[in-house]
Amino acid sequence: MGRTRVAVAMSGGVDSSTAAALLLEAGHDVVGVTLKLTDASGTAASIGGRCCSPRDIDDARATAAQLGFPHYVLDHTAAFRRAVIDDFVAEHKAGRTPNPCVRCNEKLKFGPLVRFARAIGAAQLATGHYARVARDGDGVRLSRAVDRDKDQSYFLFGLTPDVLRAVTFPLGERTKDQVRAIARRFGLGNADKPDSQQICFIPDGDHKAFVEARGGAGPGGEVVDEHGVSLGAHGGTHRFTVGQRRGVPATSDGQRRFVVRIDAATGRVVVGPRDALLNRTLRVSDLRWTATARPHAWPLRCAVQIRHHALATPAWVAAPDTTGSTVTLDEPAVGVAPGQAAVFYDGDRVVGGGWIEEGA
Amino acid sequence: MVYLDHNATSPLRPGVGEALARAHAELTGNPSSVHAAGRLARDAIERARARVADFVGALREEIVFTSGGTEGDNLAVRGLARGAAARGRRHVITSALEHPAVTGAVAALAEDGFTVTRLPVAADGTLPEGALEAALRDDTGLVTLALANHELGNVYPVTALAAAAHARGALFHTDAVQAAGKLALDLPALGVDAATVSAHKIGGPKAVGAVFVRRGLDLPPLLAGGHQEHERRPGTENVAGIVGFGEACQRATAAREEEAARVLALRRRLERALLAVPGARIFGAAEARLPGTTLIGFAGAPGQLVAIGLDLEGICVSTGAACTSGSLEPSPVLLALGLGSDGAAEGVRISLGWSTTESDVDALLAVLPGVVARVRAAGDDLPGWTAPGALATLEQA
Repeated sequence: MGRTRVAVAMSGGVDSSTAAALLLEAGHDVVGVTLKLTDASGTAASIGGRCCSPRDIDDARATAAQLGFPHYVLDHTAAFRRAVIDDFVAEHKAGRTPNPCVRCNEKLKFGPLVRFARAIGAAQLATGHYARVARDGDGVRLSRAVDRDKDQSYFLFGLTPDVLRAVTFPLGERTKDQVRAIARRFGLGNADKPDSQQICFIPDGDHKAFVEARGGAGPGGEVVDEHGVSLGAHGGTHRFTVGQRRGVPATSDGQRRFVVRIDAATGRVVVGPRDALLNRTLRVSDLRWTATARPHAWPLRCAVQIRHHALATPAWVAAPDTTGSTVTLDEPAVGVAPGQAAVFYDGDRVVGGGWIEEGA
Repeated sequence: MVYLDHNATSPLRPGVGEALARAHAELTGNPSSVHAAGRLARDAIERARARVADFVGALREEIVFTSGGTEGDNLAVRGLARGAAARGRRHVITSALEHPAVTGAVAALAEDGFTVTRLPVAADGTLPEGALEAALRDDTGLVTLALANHELGNVYPVTALAAAAHARGALFHTDAVQAAGKLALDLPALGVDAATVSAHKIGGPKAVGAVFVRRGLDLPPLLAGGHQEHERRPGTENVAGIVGFGEACQRATAAREEEAARVLALRRRLERALLAVPGARIFGAAEARLPGTTLIGFAGAPGQLVAIGLDLEGICVSTGAACTSGSLEPSPVLLALGLGSDGAAEGVRISLGWSTTESDVDALLAVLPGVVARVRAAGDDLPGWTAPGALATLEQA
């Protein structure tokens, strides 16, 4: 049997480097590829950014050189700006809580990467994501990673069956600790590099300043309680996300309050007690289904995850109408934020998902 | 490995590596020192200067050594423009096709308050008749246009262009980095005031080059520092590099006529075969082109993916200037020719040179059609994949 060529998407971090090393050790003809997504040339951020920065590209290149396989950089800076950064700013301006990582995976990253893999005659595209993917008859099955703390299946729900059939996640069966141990065994320089936490294009983590600098400031207005009583003025709706406590005045008797709703049209930020954050139903749009065949039994019984790191809640998903579907949770959940993804699971398996429009 | 990327850099010519090693070992002094070691280094530099001067038809005092093409373009363009500004001329003319070194230098001038005109070009990259004359003004201080384009290989009628600039009292600089070694160079006969050349494009070492500046013309330095290169380029000279540059110039001159004829024949054979690939088109001028440069596009196949596919087959080509490649984004040169963003991302540059053989061309032709077919079949059905151009259209909708 000849060596199978596999393209490995490399971010410069320990996960994708280890994925590459494992594939190499398994005898594959490994070709590395890094998407350059942000362009902060000449700034401090360009040297020390968290992900996809020139420094990370250098790390990816160094790993490929150390392990001895070819590595290429594809510049998608302009496409990333249009598809992800502009959307991030617009969503904040509209009072929503965008999830740029999910959007990047769905709209930007995987299409060019799979295209790259096919163009070089690679059988598959591997990434360092913690998730599991397997052929399932004619279809494909996307599941949670063995390491539940690292599971990234939530971020991957938007991938189509065509894309999923082309990808493999070598780390899906491993824990992060195992991965770091493997990286050390291979002598990878980034074995102990910290996990990226920030959004890759905001290395200093200051979302507010980033959005404001790009014309994404929402209107100023009033902070009101659930009865519509004004509690004071605020400097822009983009400074708030649903569930946020910081900057929200407590009640006169010292009860904590949280952002419950943001209305960018009127500039109103509605706050209330923790109970007001609870939602049992949510409206979800732009639905997609991971299996080739859409579900046909409605309502669909599944577990719904409304944020990365949230627990999935048992729920019913109503038959889709023209604009989306209504999801009814068995137990009310805290922190349903318009702009985040709602991902539907059947056990470990991703069934599909959509984008949260509103909670109720 | 089959190397077909001579416009990015050309391998060291035979003998140059030895000259470099000898210079590194033996010329240990600082050329500015008064002692014997210094005199030895100084003498080697001056002998190399004579060789470089011969190579471009210039006088020795008209050659200023630099760290390469980018520094040379910056030194000449910014230095001459500043000199002209002192005479009240603050308008600079360039074209939409120049190398990033020139584009960047001109952009720096624009930031300093200079007015810039970028000449438009025809669909084959040639300058329309009378375009320069129409753009020249009473306050035009400098015109900078390449002698040969780095991506297309187009050769421009610099003698006539320089004369037109002079008729209006403007200075003329040409980036001759790509033309050097491939065309017979006689810079004084071209009538230019300044020109840039680079050693590694002619089979010399990297990080050394020269600016030709016509005798009698002031060239203020970019850097502040010592007196080297007659106050035009401070800093201790790259002695070994300069010696290697001189060696490469001599060997390039000796081989040039035979090489140019041989390379041109190879390119013609290559292009005939490439054009047989469905959807292939060659960019640039039909006739006035460097002997070894072909910029070709295969409809529906991003140039970078073709270049990567070839690399994995052991064949080195590029998508354009190494300074701007690494990108699926459209080439600025091809955009300037009026191509849409998809077409402008399709360019694959194949550049032949002194070391290219028939079997190199055969090796490329053996694998290229398969690589192109695979790239074409790779992507368009993918959801989420949007060509850069298509994305822009979606947003407008």
